[in-house]
Amino acid sequence: WDSFTTNKEHAVTMPCTWVMACAYAPSGCAIACGGLDNKCSVYPLTFDKNENMAAKKKSVAMHTNYLSACSFTNSDMQILTASGDGTCALWDVESGQLLQSFHGHGADVLCLDLAPSETGNTFVSGGCDKKAMVWDMRSGQCVQAFETHESDINSVRYYPSGDAFASGSDDATCRLYDLRADREVAIYSKESIIFGASSVDFSLSGRLLFAGYNDYTINVWDVLKGSRVSILFGHENRVSTLRVSPDGTAFCSGSWDHTLRVWA
Amino acid sequence: MSSKMAIGSDIGQARRAVEQLRMEAGIDRVKVSKAAADLLQFCTEQAKSDPFLVGIPAATNPFKEKKPCAIL
Repeated sequence: WDSFTTNKEHAVTMPCTWVMACAYAPSGCAIACGGLDNKCSVYPLTFDKNENMAAKKKSVAMHTNYLSACSFTNSDMQILTASGDGTCALWDVESGQLLQSFHGHGADVLCLDLAPSETGNTFVSGGCDKKAMVWDMRSGQCVQAFETHESDINSVRYYPSGDAFASGSDDATCRLYDLRADREVAIYSKESIIFGASSVDFSLSGRLLFAGYNDYTINVWDVLKGSRVSILFGHENRVSTLRVSPDGTAFCSGSWDHTLRVWA
Repeated sequence: MSSKMAIGSDIGQARRAVEQLRMEAGIDRVKVSKAAADLLQFCTEQAKSDPFLVGIPAATNPFKEKKPCAIL
């Protein structure tokens, strides 16, 4: 989609009924997506009308259950995936080979996020076992685990500095965990919020945390004060995903009401 | 036989869990007062360049309505 003109640029049909994950390659030349087909497929992007995008599809990852999340690492050459089979895995795009697998979650892994630094070799994953786990990509080891949520963790996102991460969960709270202190440092919740948070993202400075909820709203939290700054209405069904643009000027939310809305 | 095998794997799993917990307990931790102060510092430094906090001039905002809207 072109977010300024709202024109649809490309549509790729997938063989499975639910596409649950998609990601842009850092170069912007390819996209990876997957879902109930248990695979992650990479499609090179082409703006040539004569080319059939589906023809160039490359199947990269293979899990034994649905693919819940995927993300390219710093390069177009490697993809990190999270699956309903309880594992995360790192794949080489070119050969489709499994480079590293990450075992430790006791249930479906629903989300993952890579550490922001250029040299970063860690990523965080959240799952239905209520745990958020931080992994070393080279060794496959879990280096830190956090278990304070009371229900499935639907979304995890690193703080822009890379020293902390936020998580959104079905227990209707979002929490901030500091990696260096190795503990939860803030909870973003209100008694009036009883529906789960499906997706979270930070503004560029990390001062604001945007969270989409299953009660059709988006709450904006002040990360440092722990209070809600704003509540955004507009969607007519659950907000299932939310992402701030790379330049930080706007964020987009996707919902079960079949729309994507850009908020600026 | 099968119950012995089940117990064996439980012990193996438990051992691995203990290993993992020992490793996690052994990492160097920073005090929350220091870690929080660092988060705060990062945030205030970056706040000046955060479009959601500072706001962008209407001229450069690509999402601003370009054509005037006449209500008939």
